[in-house]
Amino acid sequence: MSGLKIDNIQKRFGDVHVLKGIDIEIDEGDFLILVGPSGCGKSTLLHMIAGLESVTSGTISIGQRDVTHLNPKDRDIAMVFQSYALYPNMTVRQNISFGLSIRKVPESEQEEIVQRVAEMLQIGPLLDRKPSQLSGGQRQRVAMGRALARKPSIFLFDEPLSNLDAKLRVEMRTEIKELHNRLGTTMVYVTHDQIEAMTLGQRIAIMKDGVIQQFGSPQEIYDEPVNQFVAGFIGSPSMNFIPCPVVKQDNQLSIELDNETGKFYLPIDGKNAELESWVGKTIILGLRPEKITHDIASHADNQGIHRANCRVGIVEPTGPDTLVFIELNNTKTVCRVDPSEAKNTGENIDLMFDLTKAVFFEPETGERVC
Amino acid sequence: MVEQNQQQSLLGRAFVYSALVLGAVYFLIPLFVMLITSVKTLDDIRTGSLISWPDQITFEAWSAAWTSACIGVDCGGLKGYFWNSISMVVPAVAISTLIGAFNGYVLTKWRFRGSDIFFAMLLIGCFIPFQVVLLPMARTLGFLGLAGTIPGLILVHVIYGLAFTTLFFRNFYVSVPDELVKAARIDGAGFFTIFFRILLPISGPIIVVSVIWQFTQIWNDFLFGVVYSAGDKQPITVALNNLVNTSTGVKQYNVDMAAAIIAALPTLLVYFVAGKYFVRGLTAGSVKG
Ligand SMILES: Nc1ncnc2c1ncn2[C@@H]1O[C@H](COP(=O)(O)OP(=O)(O)O)[C@@H](O)[C@H]1O
Ligand SMILES: [Mg+2]
Repeated sequence: MSGLKIDNIQKRFGDVHVLKGIDIEIDEGDFLILVGPSGCGKSTLLHMIAGLESVTSGTISIGQRDVTHLNPKDRDIAMVFQSYALYPNMTVRQNISFGLSIRKVPESEQEEIVQRVAEMLQIGPLLDRKPSQLSGGQRQRVAMGRALARKPSIFLFDEPLSNLDAKLRVEMRTEIKELHNRLGTTMVYVTHDQIEAMTLGQRIAIMKDGVIQQFGSPQEIYDEPVNQFVAGFIGSPSMNFIPCPVVKQDNQLSIELDNETGKFYLPIDGKNAELESWVGKTIILGLRPEKITHDIASHADNQGIHRANCRVGIVEPTGPDTLVFIELNNTKTVCRVDPSEAKNTGENIDLMFDLTKAVFFEPETGERVC
Repeated sequence: MVEQNQQQSLLGRAFVYSALVLGAVYFLIPLFVMLITSVKTLDDIRTGSLISWPDQITFEAWSAAWTSACIGVDCGGLKGYFWNSISMVVPAVAISTLIGAFNGYVLTKWRFRGSDIFFAMLLIGCFIPFQVVLLPMARTLGFLGLAGTIPGLILVHVIYGLAFTTLFFRNFYVSVPDELVKAARIDGAGFFTIFFRILLPISGPIIVVSVIWQFTQIWNDFLFGVVYSAGDKQPITVALNNLVNTSTGVKQYNVDMAAAIIAALPTLLVYFVAGKYFVRGLTAGSVKG
C-alpha cells in the first residue's frame, strides 16, 4: 500500500521557483531520505508534506488520502525539527503530552503514553525538567519523544541530528533505525549528510535546485548514479572524475591515462557499444576510490582488472585504509590502499584499477553516458 | 612597567568614579531639596535656605497634599486624583501590552501580504507628536460618548501606546524560532492556543519592558489628561498642576513638594522593583531551548 505519494509538486515563493515538479511514491513503512546540498528545497518539501507550507501546484497523499489542502493537525503526522523546537515554558512531560492534551486524550491515558515514550527513549529521569536544563542530546531525545507520543501514519524528520556532535550523531542514527524497525511506520527524513542518507534510507531521493536528480535504493544510487552530481554527492571520499581521451589501442577500446611515471591505457570491456562513438574524444571517467587499490594478487585474474605503476602524491592514513593521492591526466585522484601496502610521497606504487563498476559522463552536461 | 600601568589604571578609575559621583549629585540634589522642603514647616522654609536641614521634621505637608490641599475650589487633596490615575493606568497598560503582544505575534508568526508595510506604518506611530492627534481624537471621543471620562483616557492611551508595545513584542518574537510555532501547529494547537500557551508564557522579559514603559508614559502624561478629562475625573498630573497653581493665601511650598513627590512615587516604585528586569528584557536575545 502507498505510504506517501507526491505528485508533480511545485513551489514558488513569489518569483523564486523552489520546487520544480517533484514526484515521489513510497510504500507504507518505507524509510525515505530526502538528501541534497543546503538550499535545494528539502525542508520546503518536508514542510509541504506536513502542511506547514502551502503547495503551488500538485498533490500530496498520505496513505492514499489526499491531504494537499488539509491542516497539519488533520494529516496524522508527527515531526522532529532541526532546532528541536521544544516549548521552553513546559517541562519534558508537558512537552510530550501537549499534543495529546490538545487532542483531548484523557489524562490517565496521557500519563501512560508519557511513560511508554520515556521508557522507549530512556528519558524517564528527565520528565520534570525544563528544556533549558537538558543537554543537546537529551533535547534531541525529548523532541523524538514528542513525535512518538502519538501514533501517526507518517513521521517527518528535518535534519534531526545535525546539531549533535559526531559521536552522538552516530549513536542516534542507529537508534532511529532501530525505532523504524520496531514501529514499522513510514518515515521521511531530511538530511544534507550523505552518510546518514546511505545508512538510514531504504529509498533515497537526491535533490538539487528543486529537482530530484535520482530516486532509488542506496545501492542503486551508489552503483548506478544517473549523473555526475549524484555520483559526486554520494560516497566519501568522493568518486574520482578523470577526463580521459577514448582511443583504439591494439584494436581494443581504451582510455588513455597519464601519470608522472608515463602514459598507460586501460581497456574498457563490456561497454564498447556505447563508447565506440567516443573514440578520439574526451570523456569523464567516474571511478570510486575503493576501485583503485594496491596490488591484490588474488584479484589479478578477475575481469576488468588492470595494473599500473603510479607516483604517490599526498598520503592520508584513515586507520582501516590509507588514502593515496595520485595525478591522472592532471586530475587529483584518490586511491584506497591497505595501510601496510601504502608508499610514501614521491615513491612509486603498483596500483590495481577495477573498471567493472566504472561509469562514464558527458564532459559538458555531466549526464551519464554508460 | 607593571607598577606604572597600575598607577594609570588607578588614576583612570578615580576619574571615572568622580565623574559618576558628580553626575549622581547633579541629579539627586533636586530630589533632595524636594524631600527636605516637604518635611519643613512654612516658617522653616521662609527663614532657612533651600538646602538647609529642617529644624523639625513634620509630615503635615504630606497629609495636607494627600487629603486637604485645595485644587481649584475643591479642597480634598490629591487622593481622589491618585485613584483616578491608578484606574486609568492599570487598564491602559494591561490592554496596550496585551494587544501589543498579540500584534507582535501576528506580525512575526502569521505574516500576511503587506505585514511589513503595516509594521512600518505602526513604527511611524511612535514618532507622531501628541499635538497632532489632539483634535481628531477629541472628536472621536465625543462621537463615542467618552469625552471627559476615564474610559476615554484609557482608550487614548491604549491607541497611542500600541505603536510602542507592538514594536517591543515584534522585536522580541522575531528572535523566537518559527519552528516552535510549527511544532505547536503539528501538535494541533490553533492560533490562540499557540499565543496563550506557547508565546505569552515565554514573554516575561518583554512584558516587563512594555509594562514599565507604558506605566511611566501614561502615569506621567499631562497633555492628554488636561485635554480629554474634566473636573474630578482628571489624572494626578493635571491635579498636581492645578494644586500648585491654586493661589489662595500664601504659597505652601512644602505641600507642593510633597504633592509632587506623591505624584512621582508610583513610577519610582516601578523602576525600583522592576528596573533590573527592564534592562534584562531590553537585551534579552532569543529564547534558548
Ligand atoms: N519563506 C520563504 N520565502 C522565500 N524563499 C524561501 C522561503 N523558504 C525557503 N526559501 C528558499 O527556498 C530554497 C530552499 O529552502 P529550503 O527548503 O530551506 O532548503 P534546504 O532545506 O534544502 O536547505 C532556498 O533558496 C530558500 O532561500
Ligand atoms: Mg533545511
